[in-house]
Amino acid sequence: MAKLWGGVNRWQIALTMVCLVLGSMLGVQVHTKQLQGARQVGRQTSALVGMLTQGQAQLEKQQEEIERLREKVARYEQDASGERGLAQVMSEELRNNRIALGLLSVKGPGIELVLGDSTMKGDDGIGGQDAFVIHDFDLLQIANELWAAGAEAVSLNGQRLSAGSAITCSGRLIEVNKVAIGAPFTFLAIGDRGNLTSALNIRDGALDRLRVLQFQVKLTPKDEVVVPAIAVAPKYKHASPALKEETQ
Amino acid sequence: MRALPLVALALGFLVVYVFVPPIPARMADYVSLAILAGFDAIIGGARARLEQQFDAAIFVSGFFANMVLAVVLAYLGDKLGVDLYLAVVVALGIRMFANLGRIRGRIVTLRLQARQARSSAPPE
Repeated sequence: MAKLWGGVNRWQIALTMVCLVLGSMLGVQVHTKQLQGARQVGRQTSALVGMLTQGQAQLEKQQEEIERLREKVARYEQDASGERGLAQVMSEELRNNRIALGLLSVKGPGIELVLGDSTMKGDDGIGGQDAFVIHDFDLLQIANELWAAGAEAVSLNGQRLSAGSAITCSGRLIEVNKVAIGAPFTFLAIGDRGNLTSALNIRDGALDRLRVLQFQVKLTPKDEVVVPAIAVAPKYKHASPALKEETQ
Repeated sequence: MRALPLVALALGFLVVYVFVPPIPARMADYVSLAILAGFDAIIGGARARLEQQFDAAIFVSGFFANMVLAVVLAYLGDKLGVDLYLAVVVALGIRMFANLGRIRGRIVTLRLQARQARSSAPPE
């Protein structure tokens, strides 16, 4: 073999030199390309982040758009109600339905009822502290009383009570419309002030019972209370109108 | 001693890979071209050895000159707006294939000659 190659030492040295240079070049090249690949991944991540923020901005913009369109619809309804006749009837009906659903903030004469926990201590008498805090069923009873007395709009701690509203117990807190609230509890109700007040103050009624246990009850008739709109409009996923026309 | 070139290759690779910081992307293109030229020179050297025309001085000078020329040509192309980069790749590629073909042919011829020599030798 050595004879075939000729000048073994010289060519080995030459090849060694060449290989050293080639190897170092390969090294720098592989290193660089690897880093480029890594940078590419970083770029992709930041691109995704960009897409996310862009999407969020878009969502925000579209929500603004919804708000604008709602206002527009309200304006159209106003315009339509300017014309007499069917349009007015429809617009009135729509307005009433919206009030009933709680989609509109409403104002009018009514009452404000503020309830605080009892000043009695748990050890003073009847049992544990449980008896001296306001429970979900107390609030339910009051809400029921208010509706029965002809309240047209009711809110509890800023949460509009409407179709589908629920008052439930959630540990130490009470949930209304799935929003947690705590004492003091403030009912706002629009309706005939006399009726509402006497209904609440009825003997052995909800407030009577609370007063006996020294709960802080403050009931004030007001010339004008503002009941806020419902935060989240109800969605109907399962229910659809069962109209005669549709069944035929 | 025959492993010396391979050791040098691995050593150069490792040392640079570990200790030398990466180069800018634009430079990387030129380095890849230089590597291509280096491969071409090595394949050409192998061919020359098989044809018993190998000369270390020509091999080494060819190796470095080819590298520099390839890079200079590509750089010039970049400056002029002509893709001389491609010209270098194509030219080196063709030459590498041609040389590899001749190496293969040479090896096959040598094998055949050896076999013929063995078969024509008188049986013992």
